[in-house]
Amino acid sequence: MENYAIEVKDLKIRYKTIQKMSIKKSLLSLKKSKVDIFEAVKGVSFQVKQGEIIGITGKNGSGKSTLLRAVAGIFAADEGSIDLHGHTVSLLSIGVGFQKKLTGRENVYLSGMLLGFSEEQIQQHMKEIIEFSELGSFIDKPVRTYSSGMYSKLAFSITAILETEIMLIDEVLSVGDSKFKKKSYKKMKQLISNCNRTVIIVSHSSDTLRQLCSRVIWLHDGLIKMDGTPDEVLPQYEEFMS
Amino acid sequence: MKRFIADIKKYYKYAVYSAKAELKSEVASSYLSWLWWILDPLLFMMVYAFVSAVVFNASEKYFLAFVFVGISCWDFFNRTVKQSVKLVSANSHIVSKVYLPKFILIFVKIGNNGFKMLISFALVVGMMCLYRVPLSWNMLYFFPIMVVLILVTFAFSVWLLHFGVFVEDLSNLINAFLRLVFYLSGIFYSISSRVPEPYQSLLLMFNPVALIMEDLRRTCLYGELPHRKILLAWAVVGIVLSVLGIRTIYKSENSYVKVI
Repeated sequence: MENYAIEVKDLKIRYKTIQKMSIKKSLLSLKKSKVDIFEAVKGVSFQVKQGEIIGITGKNGSGKSTLLRAVAGIFAADEGSIDLHGHTVSLLSIGVGFQKKLTGRENVYLSGMLLGFSEEQIQQHMKEIIEFSELGSFIDKPVRTYSSGMYSKLAFSITAILETEIMLIDEVLSVGDSKFKKKSYKKMKQLISNCNRTVIIVSHSSDTLRQLCSRVIWLHDGLIKMDGTPDEVLPQYEEFMS
Repeated sequence: MKRFIADIKKYYKYAVYSAKAELKSEVASSYLSWLWWILDPLLFMMVYAFVSAVVFNASEKYFLAFVFVGISCWDFFNRTVKQSVKLVSANSHIVSKVYLPKFILIFVKIGNNGFKMLISFALVVGMMCLYRVPLSWNMLYFFPIMVVLILVTFAFSVWLLHFGVFVEDLSNLINAFLRLVFYLSGIFYSISSRVPEPYQSLLLMFNPVALIMEDLRRTCLYGELPHRKILLAWAVVGIVLSVLGIRTIYKSENSYVKVI
């Protein structure tokens, strides 16, 4: 019996196009409210072992981000199931939700608390986060004064240093200057060596996936097209995309 | 229900910290900073006091404190309810990144607005000292009445949060409706002495804000007894609505993100 951190079974996620309605519209069309259903993920199953680093790739609109959000618990599965076996999970994606008027430090607290950490735990890691994010004195300035690079660096640092057991990363490793990129690669590698940490990375970049992942899943139109080691999957994916 | 309690335990600290941070950020960039928490109700009180005392010739005992009690309650109710209509889309940056029980967002607002209300009640206490309002045991009713106010506000907010996600122009409707409630709540006049009879009881029975204001004034300013039965009834209504609302939110909160 393997020790799985994530088990996804027959996952289907639909976007019912329950568009926002105005009151007038809903009064006029009470009965004939047709619901467009768009299925973004059409029955995906996979298991992730504890400590595994998985890459998910695929063209735009193939359901990668939707899948990731479902694993993070933001969406509910319409069919099928996602079992995280009680692990804590955090989703890191471009433009993580910071409150622009608050300082970086306050936002670290807020994000950390949302991830389920206590104030003391965050305090312990605060120094490390500030150091890693290279923000220096900017940490006490409002987030709206940050450059986009600083913004993403801070976001990455929070998730990288406040260790949740499962980490989901959505296209974020391409942020920051090349120095920070190297550093975050290194940090990722270091996280990999911690065999309790499970990571799912969504990326278009084959290089990233090749360097970091031990397994790659190729999603195409909401279905798994291939699932295997990077050396098996990526050449075919590249050929398909070119 | 179990889940509700577990979630509150888990996110309670976040709500408190977030409310604090919000308060801080609201004043951080303004010139007079936290003075606005006092100035804001004070200025409005002066407007209302002018309109009602000079234009409409109203004169209640302890008039300034009378108006101030009304404004404090009203601001709390009005702000919380209004904000909750747009709450999910206003917090889309959080909601689409991490799971959060959506009613926690209402707690943040209640904390934020409740703090402001507390400040204005502190001002009321100051005025009562100036007026030398006689003390009475009935003043202790302040606390249960506050509980009812928070319960009722929460109950309305939960439902508006839910529908506000799906109905885009709900906020327009709510704004108009709140304006109506504003005039029907007796913020700068006394319902029990100015409104003729059948309407008076009806207003006090069916408008919780009017009832709460009236009873706060009765107990704290005039040392009388509140409408205990109707207050209790509203407390029950508030609890029932909140429970049903939280259930609805739990059931459908996952589709919120798909809509916004």
